[in-house]
Amino acid sequence: MAAWPNPSEVLGKPATRLDAEAKVTGRAKYTYDVQPEGWLYGMILRSKWAAAKVTKIDLSKAQAMPGVKAAILTGGENRTVRYYGQELAAIAATTKQACLDALRAIEVTAEPLPFVVKEDDAMKPDSPRVFEKSPNVSDPSVREDGHVDDAMASAAVVCEAELRTQIQLHHPLETHGNVVWIQNDHATVWASTQGISSVRDSLNGAAGIPQSNIQVLCDYMGGGFGSKFGAGAHGRIAADLSKAAGAPVKLMLNRLEQGLAVGNRPSSIQKVKFAADKDGKLLAADVENHGSPGIGGGGQTAGGGGGANISMPYIYRFPNSRSKQFGVALNTGASTAFRAPGHPPASFSTESMMDELAVKLGMDPVEFRLLNDPDGTRQEEYRDGRDKFGWAAKYKKPGSDPGPIKTGVGCAGGTWGGGGGGTKAEVQINSDGTVEMRCGTQDLGTGSRTVIAMVAAEAFGLHPSDITVKIGDTNLPPSGGSGGSSTTASVAPAIWDTCQKALETLQQQTGVADARGANWSDACKKLGVTPLSAQGQWQKGLSSGGAGGVNFAEVEVDTETGFIRLKKIVAVHDCGLIVNPLTTTSQINGGITSGIGYALYEERVMDRYTGLMLNNNFDSYKIPNIADMPDIEVILHNKPERGVIGIGEPAVIPVAGAIANAVANAIGVRIHSLPITPAKVLAALGKVPNVTTV
Amino acid sequence: MNSFQYVTAHTPDEAVSLIGKNGRYLAGGIDLLGEMKDYIVSPDVVVNVKGMSQPTELGTILLPTGVTNTANCQIGASVTVAEIAAHEDLKKVLPGLIEAASEIGSPQIRNVATLAGNLLQHSRCWYYRQPDIVCLKRGGDMCHAHEGENKYHSLFTGCACLSPVVSNLSVIFAALDVAIKVKRAGKTETLSIAEFYQEAWKNPQTHNSLNPEDFLLTASIPLKRTRSAYRQVSEKSEFDWAMVSCAAAGNVANGKITNVRVALGAVAPVPYMVEAAHHFLEGKSLTDENASKAADLILKDAKPLAHNGYKVPLAHTLIRRTLLALNP
Ligand SMILES: Cc1cc2nc3c(=O)[nH]c(=O)nc-3n(C[C@H](O)[C@H](O)[C@H](O)COP(=O)(O)OP(=O)(O)OC[C@H]3O[C@@H](n4cnc5c(N)ncnc54)[C@H](O)[C@@H]3O)c2cc1C
Ligand code: SF4
Repeated sequence: MAAWPNPSEVLGKPATRLDAEAKVTGRAKYTYDVQPEGWLYGMILRSKWAAAKVTKIDLSKAQAMPGVKAAILTGGENRTVRYYGQELAAIAATTKQACLDALRAIEVTAEPLPFVVKEDDAMKPDSPRVFEKSPNVSDPSVREDGHVDDAMASAAVVCEAELRTQIQLHHPLETHGNVVWIQNDHATVWASTQGISSVRDSLNGAAGIPQSNIQVLCDYMGGGFGSKFGAGAHGRIAADLSKAAGAPVKLMLNRLEQGLAVGNRPSSIQKVKFAADKDGKLLAADVENHGSPGIGGGGQTAGGGGGANISMPYIYRFPNSRSKQFGVALNTGASTAFRAPGHPPASFSTESMMDELAVKLGMDPVEFRLLNDPDGTRQEEYRDGRDKFGWAAKYKKPGSDPGPIKTGVGCAGGTWGGGGGGTKAEVQINSDGTVEMRCGTQDLGTGSRTVIAMVAAEAFGLHPSDITVKIGDTNLPPSGGSGGSSTTASVAPAIWDTCQKALETLQQQTGVADARGANWSDACKKLGVTPLSAQGQWQKGLSSGGAGGVNFAEVEVDTETGFIRLKKIVAVHDCGLIVNPLTTTSQINGGITSGIGYALYEERVMDRYTGLMLNNNFDSYKIPNIADMPDIEVILHNKPERGVIGIGEPAVIPVAGAIANAVANAIGVRIHSLPITPAKVLAALGKVPNVTTV
Repeated sequence: MNSFQYVTAHTPDEAVSLIGKNGRYLAGGIDLLGEMKDYIVSPDVVVNVKGMSQPTELGTILLPTGVTNTANCQIGASVTVAEIAAHEDLKKVLPGLIEAASEIGSPQIRNVATLAGNLLQHSRCWYYRQPDIVCLKRGGDMCHAHEGENKYHSLFTGCACLSPVVSNLSVIFAALDVAIKVKRAGKTETLSIAEFYQEAWKNPQTHNSLNPEDFLLTASIPLKRTRSAYRQVSEKSEFDWAMVSCAAAGNVANGKITNVRVALGAVAPVPYMVEAAHHFLEGKSLTDENASKAADLILKDAKPLAHNGYKVPLAHTLIRRTLLALNP
């Protein structure tokens, strides 16, 4: 079995991103920046109704407008639309304004239908149906182990609550989109994607082009968080527009469309009941979840593998457990995988209930977890994090701070699969000593280029900046999508294997016994005219799956205004073999930022009466800014013996649970729904007069 | 956005002559351009008023040197919020103004936002800003906030539109009893802050009392109140409007407050003031108890909606804290 070198020269040492300068100077070209000769703007006309029967879409006025090169329907005229934002027609034109004008000239005749956009409404028996033929609430998926009711009845302590999590939007800073150029029977696609091969595959047959004639390129992309697999409906539309107009079409979504039609994290309404014995051992969990994936009921990407289901019961060992999960259809855009699908809502509810139990038992929450968490890795992390965080000095009885401004602390854990596989790579070594690594992966922002260069540098005894890296092109040896926190664990072993093969060939061919490092250029010189090329692939033994992480949070809550100030987050993560501590830490910082948004600020707001989304921009869809960031301390647990594992998703999981627990610890009452806003804090403290929550 | 004619005015008179029936003045553009891009407003003429060289008072902060009881500080319409926030001398005489200006948006926004633009910014109601909803304020037939998502809406209503004024400067200006000089129908008129916003109470289609062609010239701030303070709470630390804000001003001598004025923002279409609270406080010492009683008086007529009840305790806290901050 393959193995990583020990000790290593490059791996595990901080390396700045190879493309850092290109990114900060603007030289790095994103899909947004691509401008092939003669390109047109593409835009989509979307349903203004949450549900409607469309009978006619008249493109004739739009078609005749100046600058318009193509106007197409995206799915026929006679059809039922089921959410605000569903695609109806599209325009390609020479300027952005020409597109906007043309969109406004398209006449749509439609008969509005009843709709429902709020979970509580959709669950009522008399609710309008999202799909005529099936009820809004699906049959449950049920899992049962042991004897839950008996265990509950005999338990010393039982805690029960309804916990809710909101719909969170991905909102990558680069919105979704593609530049598509159909020429003859070939398509060139510049995609903002986390899976170039998935874009190619999903465009198979679009505009009549077979998969083998499609080349997908992605040099740089501005974030995806799970929502950028495949070309999307907008990608196929761009292909149709390019074919119709005979020119390259750039179709990038705007912020409103981004919030409507390209996925979100499903909501959850969780009725949770946990029980423990008098010594604090967990006995039973009973969970009933209603979650909404919008109109996306199931399938591969809906919410990440299973509609709105979440991973309950989460991480702890319950000898008796029952979970019943229902999907709730809504007239809203479909969910899609979002950074650790199914985990953050499960961690939030589970860890909230764990703290409630600990309080009832009079146990320290960390001790209570150490007693019940079966995972040795997290046990280590709790012990280490607790000391670095200063838990012993900071934890006190909930709500016991005197004065209106109260501090509190909380902790939470998470788990993730990850692991690697399915990647091929190629290297070309030239007689001048230059090295080019080629791999058909993409850089989702995790630093793939740099990781590739580091692994090659380690293999050849060179410096990462000596390596040229080619990625983001489906003509390169294939790799998988950047999802499931699997990129580095898939790519690094393939690069290592490729380089080992190349090194062996180089040494054989040139007779240099050790061609690495100081001998590199002499050995390469002996190659002569024909460069050396070698191929390799992912090998067992260099990566593994399974990751655990824990967070500690400290907050300060102003009980007279409800304002929460995050003071500190300590994140401890099992990182396997750390390839690059800088990019690893950066992933964790990003996960924490997203988790803070989930915990305190972000929420898609739908209007019950119009069926439209109300917070379509960043003024009202509130993502955290720098000023909202606490002091973050990331503690990496390096475990080289595990090989490379993933960290992108684990990073986000425990954040909301830890913050929610810290808030409850500060104010002495628990807020059962995310995001935890000042309004909810004031309400939980009983300070709000006659609120009717509908 | 729809197409429009773009012209630059060099003087207020020229601006007024260019504006026409459906034109708009463009200052920093933060508010206006967003509205135009979302087709919320579609002026046929956009009159750029940023670079006016005459009169110089438009771009100036005039602070008299020897501050007397009758002196005023005058700030021009095109002065940016950042210029106000960074003014060291203003900080000494009008600390509340500096606090209010410093809390606006974010550094990027403060650098571009002007005094006039801030006072005249339009509703932030998310129904009003939603490109595909035409509510009462935009000429539609209903206010969606009454029954809908009204978390950020007014506490003091009785009017058809529930969208509150959210300009930070409007709130501190109300407390400081600022007079706004406006060019109107060929004359220069002076409006109190109450007059400047009262039309928004009455007519749901307006955001303030200015007619489309009225041009804001200056704000004149009496310096006779030597103590002032401003407090707000937003959901986020930056880049966010206040959920509720409060400003107060007055004189404090021998531990007693006189001439006090208190205004609340984001709770009514105008900066909300209650005379009874001022009468109550006159001559009293600023204790937590008195501040709390004043807050009760100010909030007496609050009518929370389904989702904005939290604004009542929040406003109560902010009134107390702002008043107590007047103590030297
Ligand atoms: C994310 C974000 C957060 C924000 N947070 C806050 C906040 O916390 N507090 C706050 O108060 N504001 C906040 N704002 C609003 C911001 O302060 C205003 O949009 C800004 O002050 C407008 O100023 P401007 O110069 O850009 O105005 P413009 O957009 O140019 O103009 C605004 C309006 O004033 C009119 N106008 C401009 N000058 C004149 C004149 N001389 N006479 C007559 N009419 C005129 C224009 O026609 C237009 O209707 C925020 C904005 C954003 C985007
Ligand atoms: S509050 Fe005013 S702006 Fe908002 S929906 Fe009602 S009428 Fe429109």
